[in-house]
Amino acid sequence: MTTDIAERRKNLWSGLGVTLLSCWLLIWIIPRYGGSGMAFGMHPQRLATLGAWVMLLCAAALALASLIQLKKSRAPLFKLPPLSNIWHQSWPFFYVLLFIGLATFIPLTWLAPFIVGTLVALLGERRWYVILLAAAIPTAALYLLTVHLMRIGVV
Amino acid sequence: MKKTLLSTAILSAALAVGMSTVQASDFPNKPLTLVVGFGAGGSTDIQARVLANVLEDELGQPVNVVNQPGAGGGIALTRLANNRDEGYTFAFGTSMTITYGPLATETAYQLDDFRYVAGVTLGQSAIVTGEDRPFGDSWESLIEYARENPGTSYATQTALDRMIIEYISQQEGLDLRIVPTAGGAGMAPLILSGDVDFAYSGGTHSGYAESGEMPVLLSLAEERLVAFPDAPSMQEAGYDINPAEIRVVMVPKNTPDAHVERLAEALEAATQDERFIEITEERILMPVVYLSEDEVTQTLTEQTESYKALIEELGGVPGAEE
Amino acid sequence: MPELSAITGAFSDALTLHSISVILGGVLLGYLVGVIPGLNRSVAIAIAIPLTFYMSAYAAIAFLIGLSKGTAAGSAVSAILLNTPGEPSSAATCLDGYPMAKNGQPRKALKVGLLASVIGDLLSTLLLIAVVIPFASVALKFGPYELAAILIFALVFIAGMAGGSFLKGMAAGGMGVILGTVGLDPETGAMRLTFGFAELMEGVPILPLVIGTLALSEMFVQLDEYRRTKGGSSVRLGHNPDDDLSYGEFKKTLPTIFKSTGVGAFVGALPGLGPSVGSFMAYGLAKRGAKDPHSFGKGNPNGIAAAEAADNAVIPASYIPLFGLGIPGSVSAALLVGAFMIHGIQVGPLMLRDHPQMLFTIFAGMVVASLLMLAVGWYGLRIFAKVTNVPQNIVIPVVIFLCLAGIQVQGYGTFGLLTVFGFAIFGYFLKKHDYSFVTFLVAFIVTPMLEMNLRQSVILSGGEISILLQRPIALFFVVATVLMLLHLAWSSYRTYRQRRSVSL
Repeated sequence: MTTDIAERRKNLWSGLGVTLLSCWLLIWIIPRYGGSGMAFGMHPQRLATLGAWVMLLCAAALALASLIQLKKSRAPLFKLPPLSNIWHQSWPFFYVLLFIGLATFIPLTWLAPFIVGTLVALLGERRWYVILLAAAIPTAALYLLTVHLMRIGVV
Repeated sequence: MKKTLLSTAILSAALAVGMSTVQASDFPNKPLTLVVGFGAGGSTDIQARVLANVLEDELGQPVNVVNQPGAGGGIALTRLANNRDEGYTFAFGTSMTITYGPLATETAYQLDDFRYVAGVTLGQSAIVTGEDRPFGDSWESLIEYARENPGTSYATQTALDRMIIEYISQQEGLDLRIVPTAGGAGMAPLILSGDVDFAYSGGTHSGYAESGEMPVLLSLAEERLVAFPDAPSMQEAGYDINPAEIRVVMVPKNTPDAHVERLAEALEAATQDERFIEITEERILMPVVYLSEDEVTQTLTEQTESYKALIEELGGVPGAEE
Repeated sequence: MPELSAITGAFSDALTLHSISVILGGVLLGYLVGVIPGLNRSVAIAIAIPLTFYMSAYAAIAFLIGLSKGTAAGSAVSAILLNTPGEPSSAATCLDGYPMAKNGQPRKALKVGLLASVIGDLLSTLLLIAVVIPFASVALKFGPYELAAILIFALVFIAGMAGGSFLKGMAAGGMGVILGTVGLDPETGAMRLTFGFAELMEGVPILPLVIGTLALSEMFVQLDEYRRTKGGSSVRLGHNPDDDLSYGEFKKTLPTIFKSTGVGAFVGALPGLGPSVGSFMAYGLAKRGAKDPHSFGKGNPNGIAAAEAADNAVIPASYIPLFGLGIPGSVSAALLVGAFMIHGIQVGPLMLRDHPQMLFTIFAGMVVASLLMLAVGWYGLRIFAKVTNVPQNIVIPVVIFLCLAGIQVQGYGTFGLLTVFGFAIFGYFLKKHDYSFVTFLVAFIVTPMLEMNLRQSVILSGGEISILLQRPIALFFVVATVLMLLHLAWSSYRTYRQRRSVSL
């Protein structure tokens, strides 16, 4: 039952979030950036607007339904997850983003050993030779692929 | 065991890196990239692949073909305009992208952002139709038919042919239904099935030259088409436009002269290579030419001016809100 | 129907040692590339095309055909073992493949997938050989009205089979539709939602989208799980006695395989729809027709069978409009056209007249390729299934790297990397909150085609709906869509009432 409640709560907030997003799309983004032009067939924005409406209606219905369920079972609406949880979930994203940023200057092949090796170590691997192999093999493979097989140079 | 494996791996990797840095000092001394602004399998792509193969022999370095389709060749050119490779990366495509493209939409590139190393093929675009049409396969009859039947349908693929058809329909007083399509493969089913009356074809029609399933009504090259000599050219039909396309090799404008010259040399040799001639003249049915940089640049500049004048006459780019 | 001597002649040509080794090479290369997450058919082709210049016409084409089949079989492996499909069309395979693998039955899942692939492929190839000439003209009856109607039907159908919440599925579908409209509007030339990025002119590039939403996001999800369970949730290829495929179990999946092959072949024969639409529709159909639809998505072998059979059946079928009319119906077909032309053959309706021997030899080669695919896949299973023994803390970083590398290798640049990343975040939320990524993906893929066909239909008919009365096929699908919508609304209302009465 508790997971059911937790699911309902997730639905409520995600539904709310999507509803807000679709509103933003409908009111601001689509009219402004959606393109314009005389079209005999279909206006350039029509399908996007339709999609946004579907989003809006479904997400709002979801949020509403979850709200009603939660109210009925008298469960609390807010339950902030512990802060450490958020860090645990998000640090891998920052990790990858960092390397994407670096990849704008340094070819990915040279970053490869660090991308793989560091993460393997971070995830708890202690055997140094495993870390080294895990770092070296994908790098070598990528190099082989791009330089010799596809002949597009270091990528 | 793991240690020896590791050191062997490192050693061989080092060797490989070392080998590839031994090089001659002139252009080209490393692999080149030929960018094609159209999808794999299309006539431009096929030509490009054969051209790349031939150029490999001429230049002594591998030439890799990379497809960057989109926006009628525009995406590839946008990337090329920012390229700093000094000629190691060049594009092969049709001149329409650079002459009409920047006029129809807002592009990140303009005519003078590139140098046109050489023109190697004359495009053979056409206005085509299908079999068993009430107007047969004559342009005159089509015009008559379209005048009597408002709502005659035309399939467009590019901004340029859109403008051409608008111009024609203005001149002849037609009321056409213009249907957008995506590429030759998008237009072909509509023509073959009869859902659309006539259409623009950039090269698809050459595949039906023998079977007669896609007769040509009007040639959009400077003269009549090589494979369909019965269809009049635009000038002959009385329209004052020259929509001829040239397939050119383009490099960014900051490419060193020496590199451009070397590429031009190789291209001239390629136009005499029988492999390139076979694919171009016998498969996709387009004439091989060699037009030098000056010739091409002049032709393209003139064409762009004439398009600008035409757009003004029409009162804006057709289809867009101006 | 062609003469028997022509057919047997073709087969004997195709069964020479030279021919078999060329096809085998293609299948192997394709398979290896397909298995690696992040790499897909285009990479394999980029490697292969320069090689094909040195081969004879037949060898080059046979090689490329083997390559296509190999990648299709290979990407099922990464879909099942890692939940990271190599191509959009393998996404449906993940739905039941990965849960089955996690339940300790990876070998069974892999075998079902492989057998379904091969059967779907073989049957579709035989269909191609038998009907290519007459069917080609039937394909022409499917004009923009019909295609639009079919696409709407497919969209609603697939949306309806979204697992979990219907509302969430539709919301995800809405997002897919919006993203599907991004790009240059074919009619007005207006830029829609591109925010000035030239890279978006042709739409959101599908590869970064798929790799980000499905593969990279999956890695983040697995990372999260790994840290929570400290490595207890990886797929283990143990000696689970239940992990092999018995003949009885295989027989049970046969009806699904046949039906899905039919769906895939139908979708493939209509130019433009593509293998993703085929595999999702077949999956949806299998789920609807099953006695236990709720077991789909949790590890039902029929789910894998449906997705893989259809996915593979689409490709040979897409050669029907190619050989019959000269119109390539899929990317693979377009590539074949190119290869043919380079080697001097004009593809199209005249091929039968001018190069009949070549045509039939190629058909024979296709059959040989299917069989070789089975052999390669069968042995490949054993080797690749061992990947599951690699601890997750190594697999995850490597796959993350491969996702990034796959994008770089195909030239998408930093924009591509950022797109992958953005969609990985998006996919992460979709997965964590149980929004159906299937609906999203299908909506994204279908929307541009749907819009184009809708536009064409509206313009050609002059806006009169009465045109539908003259196009029975289109009418049929429109009516089917309406009925389906009603059915969906009714059954979800019924489930809602049921759930309410249970919880009260």
